[in-house]
Amino acid sequence: MSVFMPNQDFQSEPGVAAGLDTLIAELYQKSKGEELGLTRQEFDAVLGEIARKYLPADAAHHDIRELYTSLRSEELALARACAAGHEHAWVVFLTRYREKLYDIAGYITKESSTARELADSIYAELYGTTTRDGQRTSKLASYTGRGSLEGWLRTVMVQEHVNRYRRQRRLVSLDEEKEEGSQFATPATEAAIAVDPRVEAATDEVLVALPPEDRYVLASYFLDERTLAEIARTLGVHESTISRKVDKLAKSLRKQILAALGRRGMSRRQAQEALEVDVRDLRVNIRSRLAQEKGGGAFSKKKAEAPADGS
Amino acid sequence: MATIEDHPDPNLLGAFVEKSLAQGEQLRVLEHLSRCTSCREIVSLTATQPGLGDAVSVAPGRAGWLSWPVLRWGAAMACIVVVGTVVTLRQQRESRQIEATILEQKPEKQISALSSPPAKAAEETTTGAAKPTVTRQMARATRPAENHAAAALSPVEMADAGVGSRFAEVPGRAKAAESQDAQSIKAAGNTAQVETSGAAVVPLVSTNLPPRWTLSSDGTLERSRDSGRSWQTIQVADNTIFRALAANGLEIWVGGAAGALFHSSDAGQHWTQVRPVANGEALGDDIIGVEFADTLHGKVTTSVQGIWITADAGQSWQKQ
Repeated sequence: MSVFMPNQDFQSEPGVAAGLDTLIAELYQKSKGEELGLTRQEFDAVLGEIARKYLPADAAHHDIRELYTSLRSEELALARACAAGHEHAWVVFLTRYREKLYDIAGYITKESSTARELADSIYAELYGTTTRDGQRTSKLASYTGRGSLEGWLRTVMVQEHVNRYRRQRRLVSLDEEKEEGSQFATPATEAAIAVDPRVEAATDEVLVALPPEDRYVLASYFLDERTLAEIARTLGVHESTISRKVDKLAKSLRKQILAALGRRGMSRRQAQEALEVDVRDLRVNIRSRLAQEKGGGAFSKKKAEAPADGS
Repeated sequence: MATIEDHPDPNLLGAFVEKSLAQGEQLRVLEHLSRCTSCREIVSLTATQPGLGDAVSVAPGRAGWLSWPVLRWGAAMACIVVVGTVVTLRQQRESRQIEATILEQKPEKQISALSSPPAKAAEETTTGAAKPTVTRQMARATRPAENHAAAALSPVEMADAGVGSRFAEVPGRAKAAESQDAQSIKAAGNTAQVETSGAAVVPLVSTNLPPRWTLSSDGTLERSRDSGRSWQTIQVADNTIFRALAANGLEIWVGGAAGALFHSSDAGQHWTQVRPVANGEALGDDIIGVEFADTLHGKVTTSVQGIWITADAGQSWQKQ
């Protein structure tokens, strides 16, 4: 039995190990893994893998319990049983999710043939067509039970669709480009406007200090041009809440930037003039500050397609 | 161990959409999303898919009386109540203003008529033209006043009252007159109180009461503007004893000894002597009764049982 025990202190305490073992036994029973063909040892291994993925090596016993308890054990067992190739699990999976796969694909692509193509592609990945060291690798093996299996499937399909779209954009043929009139495209004539470095610094300071949710709302609304309803749906709040937040943020940002400019030696009038003159530039700055490519160093290591591999 | 500083995997993104992550983890994913356009796109597309309601647990918010639907409908109801109250109060105020305007217009009309007697015809035309513009409330208010005037018009009543008698001295008719008088005053807004739609009583102050008319015991014409509490002698003609009176609004007719008949169309400010002549015979007997059903049609009764009738406000007469 490979119960995840990262903390050496806990390993030395038999009571703690026994408590976790009891919890895992309960989860295994609840997951009905045995009916799906998943053994207890396989289930333990899955839990250990998940703990190593999401918890640090010195995670406390309480955190481990909390993580295990929060998992969707039944769906986790189903997915991992499918990944292990148990026939009964596949029957259950197809009964529950096959129709949904096509429905989700239809909504994402808005076109039936593309939807079928996407759903078939995902289905193939779920079943595991690729082999590694002579073994079939199923995408279901990357499901960790943090959310529902259906939610995971939706996310995986969206990722696949977005990646396909980007690949197609990159692979536009020269003939297609000509058809689109790219050779007649007007060169960008927008002259680079010199922005006072103090304005940029003040903007940086204010945006960095914003709470993540506020930054998310600003980026979604102004950069991604999402509707208020879409942002509200993502955050699980009412549309009017987002509307009020956007208004409040816009006013608050201006006030804070003015204050930051004041701290950088500008008079009130100078600061207001700087913002008035540079409203257009300020928007560009906000865009660059909020965007990943220039702003978040910690998140710029991977390419955008990286999540598609499910890791 | 993979850290969340990398792109969150589909497990975390899906769980984020479903709000099933722990608070700290939810915040870390949100922090990443606020900087990562690619992940925002994936999350947004995932979150806006239909049929996600089963999986997504929307933030519950504050339930109960302060929940959004309750507040929304509560606000709508409050608006309806406020608007309804304002409209009702406004209508009541406008009604009172119209009534007050009526009372103010009456004396003005009398004064203007008195100041230019020759322009009587023109004044009547003007009054007539102004009538259609009067609102329904005004018409309602003036109708009882006409009734009151009709009651006061009865020459029999005045003749029965005799010299020195007043409505108060003839109990039965005085009550009727008082009752109609009260109605007319109330309708015209002259009453001291006007009942509103509710239980509240709003006092209205007005000194423009419609005049009352009577004949004194010595045959002089008297007028009261305070519902009979005080009387003023109206000089009509020197040394003429009057025995009959008919009043209809501004139209006043008085008759007396030796066929003296006077008419005022401005509530007693100016008087014109009318000399009825029928078939070459002039009225010379004492007049004991004058009746006018309206401004045109009238009947004069003499002490010798002679009856004189006019259908054109005294311009021509017929003797019966």
